[in-house]
Amino acid sequence: MEILGFKETEIILSKYKIPFCKTEIFNSKEKALLFAQKIGFPVVLKVHGQRVFHKSELRGVKVGIENKEDFISSWDEMIKNVSGRNIEGLLVQEMVSGSEVAIGMKRDNQFGPVIMFGLGGIFIEIIKDFSLRIAPINLEESLEMIKEIKGFKILDGARGKEKVNIKQLAQILVNLSTLSIKEEKIKSIDFNPIIINKKRALATDFRIVI
Amino acid sequence: MKNIFNPKSVALIGASEEKNSVGLGLAKNILESKKDVFFVNPFKESVLGLKCYDKITDIKSKIDLAVIAVPAKVVKETVIDCVSKKVGTVIIISGGFKEEGKEEEEEEIKNILKENNISLIGPNCLGIISKDLNASFAPITPKEGSIAFLSQSGAIINSVIDKVGFSKIVSYGNEADLGLVDFLEYLDKDKDTKVISIYIEGLKDGRKFMEVAKKISKPIVLIKAGRSEKGKKAVGTHTGSLAGDYDVYKSAMKQSGVILVDTIEELLDISKALAFLPKCKNGIGIITNGGGLGILTADYCFQYGIDIPELNKETISYLDKKLKGVKNKNNPLDVIGDAMPERYGVAMEALLNQKDINSLIVISAPQAMTDHKENAKMVVEMRKKYPQKPIVCCFKEGDLEENNVPNYPDAMRAVKSIRSLIKNEQ
Repeated sequence: MEILGFKETEIILSKYKIPFCKTEIFNSKEKALLFAQKIGFPVVLKVHGQRVFHKSELRGVKVGIENKEDFISSWDEMIKNVSGRNIEGLLVQEMVSGSEVAIGMKRDNQFGPVIMFGLGGIFIEIIKDFSLRIAPINLEESLEMIKEIKGFKILDGARGKEKVNIKQLAQILVNLSTLSIKEEKIKSIDFNPIIINKKRALATDFRIVI
Repeated sequence: MKNIFNPKSVALIGASEEKNSVGLGLAKNILESKKDVFFVNPFKESVLGLKCYDKITDIKSKIDLAVIAVPAKVVKETVIDCVSKKVGTVIIISGGFKEEGKEEEEEEIKNILKENNISLIGPNCLGIISKDLNASFAPITPKEGSIAFLSQSGAIINSVIDKVGFSKIVSYGNEADLGLVDFLEYLDKDKDTKVISIYIEGLKDGRKFMEVAKKISKPIVLIKAGRSEKGKKAVGTHTGSLAGDYDVYKSAMKQSGVILVDTIEELLDISKALAFLPKCKNGIGIITNGGGLGILTADYCFQYGIDIPELNKETISYLDKKLKGVKNKNNPLDVIGDAMPERYGVAMEALLNQKDINSLIVISAPQAMTDHKENAKMVVEMRKKYPQKPIVCCFKEGDLEENNVPNYPDAMRAVKSIRSLIKNEQ
């Protein structure tokens, strides 16, 4: 069991039209910095490796990097944190703002690919507020599974919160369903979080396990 | 499947007179069936007065259904005899196969039968029950009814067998050949069956089950055991199947249009409602002779998304004229503790005539003066007069279920059952 390399992940995401935030992988600090400057601060730094299943525990994630100095010191620190680990490189990502949701896929030994949707973080793990569907699912079923969670009102503009682009989110679920049916060698997928706002939904963290 | 559920002749291999044995249980039940019955047991002259043959091949008549209840180690040679005899179908009651890790032995027997185009139920099962046929070692033969019950566990069958009427009961055991989905497809076309109830611990092929269940036109009510960690572990040693993740099961059943229930009580309650009554639109009327019970029922309805329409002008003016001794005309309609059958009749008639009331829950609490039996008659009469509007009851007594009106000891159970009848709701 290993995590799919970044380039292959990128290809899969593009092929199945899973939108993701501007991301590139680097082994050179200088090149990484140029990219960060190109996409504009603030940015995120994240470690990516075949065996790196828990990035945060390794201190392999840093968000809100504001400028060049911050970037250079964050890079050096992260390289130190993951030293001795077999890594593919560090990802530089744009920062996206909005609500967080999580989408996933796992293969059940009796029903095959199962699609999961939830608000992410504690909502899934502690409050157990998530919905499941056996793939394949259509747009209607995917909308139904989004509306099924108790926390749906948070996405639907409760208490002055911004109403998010549910339709695009639903389309991502459908695309993930298609992906899971066609790419049989993929064992599980986690898009956690997907950042969603009024306009768009973007996967900002993606883990494809093969 | 005709050979299974409607055979002309049945042979029991392993008929016995030994007290408390499976062979005796089967022998008794099969003898009571309206079929040509033959017993096979090389060590006995006769069992329960019927001659025993040494081998099935010694029987001259044609055998449609062979029921095998011999020790696991001699099942294979018995099956070979059945092949020589050219029987139509075989039920292997005997256990000691896949569930005990003996997959190869099970596979071998399955293949022998398959090569000879003989279908197989089991092994490791209680048997089957159909009209005029009890080829099981269940303690009794159940009443006839329109609920079909498919169960991975034999003991679960025994625990419900006296509770309602059944069209068919199948204990499908290890599913070496015929399995749950084959019976689902058959029962969908079976004219005696209106609803299919299922007890499972695991599914052999979840995707295949979903594909078939989606196509079944009759309602399916299902209970899944092995939801907790301890329960799952027990499934492994009971039927040798994989219990799986219950959250995934919940989604799969929802997607397949299967009504998933938590308890055996609910399984029977809902199956009964679906077997006795037509489907209906949302909107319910509640009639009670006790205010408290009416309020609780209204709360339960709210909890399950069942609408309780206000009574309209026509209904109220009809009640003003005809319903004597009752001041408040609301839904729930409290006909007061001293209600006699006539008052129930008027109330039911009034509510059933209101367009947006599509079903009724009628409660007859045991007040000192209540005449449950007459109230029940009134309900049965209304069922006949308004066949499209289902009625369920909470009565202490009365001939209700005999007349296809479900009667529940608790209002919550009545509400859950009505909910299963409402179209586009589960």
